[in-house]
Amino acid sequence: MTTEEKIAIIDRYHSNPEQILNILVDIQFQSEAGYIDQQTAQLVAEKLDISETRVYEIVSFYAILKETPQARYVLKICDSSPCHFSGEPVVSQWLQEKLGVGENQMTQDGLFMYHGIPCVGACAQTPFVKIKGEVFPHLTPEKLEKLLADLKAGYYPELVGGESHVEA
Amino acid sequence: MLKRNAPVLTARFEAMRDDPTDVAHYRQLGGYEGLASVIDMGREQALDELDAAALLGRGGAAYPAGRKWRHLYNAAGETKYIVCNGDEGEPGTFKDKALVESDPLAVIEGMTIAGYEFKAQQGYIYIRGEYRHLRAIFNQALENARAAGLLGDHILGMADFNYDIRVISGAGAYVCGESSALLNSIEGKTGRPRVKPPHLADVGLYLKPTLVNNVESYASIPVIMREGGQAFRHLGTPGGGGTKLICLTGHVKNRGLYEVDLGTPLEDILYSEKFGGGSSTGRPLKFIHFGGQSGSIGAADQLHDCLYSYEDLKTRGLAIGSGAIVAMDDSVGIVDYLTSVANFFAHESCGKCTPCRIGTLRILELLEKFQQKAGVPGDLAVFENMVTHVTQLSACGLGQSVGKPMLSGYELFPEEFKQAINWQTVERKEVAW
Ligand SMILES: Cc1cc2nc3c(=O)[nH]c(=O)nc-3n(C[C@H](O)[C@H](O)[C@H](O)COP(=O)(O)O)c2cc1C
Ligand code: SF4
Repeated sequence: MTTEEKIAIIDRYHSNPEQILNILVDIQFQSEAGYIDQQTAQLVAEKLDISETRVYEIVSFYAILKETPQARYVLKICDSSPCHFSGEPVVSQWLQEKLGVGENQMTQDGLFMYHGIPCVGACAQTPFVKIKGEVFPHLTPEKLEKLLADLKAGYYPELVGGESHVEA
Repeated sequence: MLKRNAPVLTARFEAMRDDPTDVAHYRQLGGYEGLASVIDMGREQALDELDAAALLGRGGAAYPAGRKWRHLYNAAGETKYIVCNGDEGEPGTFKDKALVESDPLAVIEGMTIAGYEFKAQQGYIYIRGEYRHLRAIFNQALENARAAGLLGDHILGMADFNYDIRVISGAGAYVCGESSALLNSIEGKTGRPRVKPPHLADVGLYLKPTLVNNVESYASIPVIMREGGQAFRHLGTPGGGGTKLICLTGHVKNRGLYEVDLGTPLEDILYSEKFGGGSSTGRPLKFIHFGGQSGSIGAADQLHDCLYSYEDLKTRGLAIGSGAIVAMDDSVGIVDYLTSVANFFAHESCGKCTPCRIGTLRILELLEKFQQKAGVPGDLAVFENMVTHVTQLSACGLGQSVGKPMLSGYELFPEEFKQAINWQTVERKEVAW
């Protein structure tokens, strides 16, 4: 993602400090490595006329915003109780077997990583994974296998820097 | 006319499926009649209708909307803000998502009625970070409403009706659903709760008088204004009018979103084919967790004649809360279940006050110890005291709610807790202080 693209996002929100969450979430969503790097934090701070510390305060407070590089596909698993007792934990077992890494660890090729998050409002669709905005519901080991293969083959372009949703 | 046991808030979902942001279509289906009625009847009368409707806040706290609106109406100050809470952080809840996704214009109309009522110029809707795709739908609906002259300058051609709505994204913090934390987050700050009082209707967003209501509450407003407060109230019970969106999850056959009249028998909700359809696992249901993680737990076999109404649940120490209904079968141990709940609280505590920051973690550790059956005599008293301390000493509704699931679960199934204790070991005595 180029600096110009980041500035375009900031400008769409009129460099309004009130819009800092919209700005950071949108930039991170479109970034290759899925996190707010220091250059970005500095840029946002300058454009919104706030301190870089403020930006980092926000990034570290909000769980969706990340301070470190993420895998290309971050598979999110719900760990709230409705899902936890409805078959969701099996997904992390499957992922551990298929990817050979533990929670929050990146696969060697940098493609995959998985971790638990609180409820995403898909409680009626367990077991599922959520990648970016997309829920892949009612998984079986076979479906998950296919999903991982499809991702490797690049079938879901919208999951890597898809289009952004901006307000007037 | 409002009919009983018929969809009200979800009435347009099917018909608008192709394009839920289509203003002309929305108007054909009764849309914007609520706003027209309010302009017709006047602001004072609108407050009376809201009182008559007995609409209790759908975000979880069940605060009477009429009282909140009247407070703001009487609050001093020219500038007032309208805020819609779409943070929907309670696990097991996805009804605000459904409303924003399938009938966003109803939410916009409700917020616009509020804008008119309080002569506000700016409204905000805060949409949960995980619901990113909803922002596009909502922005499109806003755009269409502006194009139709229903937002922006001179709404409906009225010289002094200028009002617009802005979308703010959340970014994954449950505590931001707490209304004062929500306002901090909208101001671009970290979303920690403020010290209350003052009431947000006096000192809210940017220190101005502010209305904070839930998405479902706003979606109910046009119905109330269109059909009248009495008609709305008659859908429910004396203790709370209207229909309620509920989210059935866990071990019921038909998990998902439903709209029910308040006062529907709980048995119907759990077991009838129209709704939950009974257990999905072949095992009997053991307990039901109402209203989200911050709600209380009830034993399934003690709720046979319970109505799903504010007052009936209340007499049993339960509450409707967000509308989440999590059903668990008898394979789930209460200690395991509460550990998962404690994990959520420990994870989401914002850390502003010590009892909640440290207490939620200690409660989690203790429950994990119980899971290993490694409790020692005295631990149960420690557990009870700790939960009580966190509940009593925390500054906001997050910490203050910890006691509800923990103590209700403990009281329902004390035996399971006792089995977690190794009674042969030395007793742990709390140090008095
Ligand atoms: C920790 C915490 C989280 C909350 N989360 C939400 C939420 O996600 N959505 C919501 O509408 N209300 C939430 N509330 C309740 C709000 O503080 C507030 O009561 C509500 O938004 C008011 O709207 P209502 O009266 O229409 O329900 C939460 C409260 C607490 C203490
Ligand atoms: S009770 Fe918990 S969540 Fe609420 S302000 Fe205190 S630390 Fe933060």
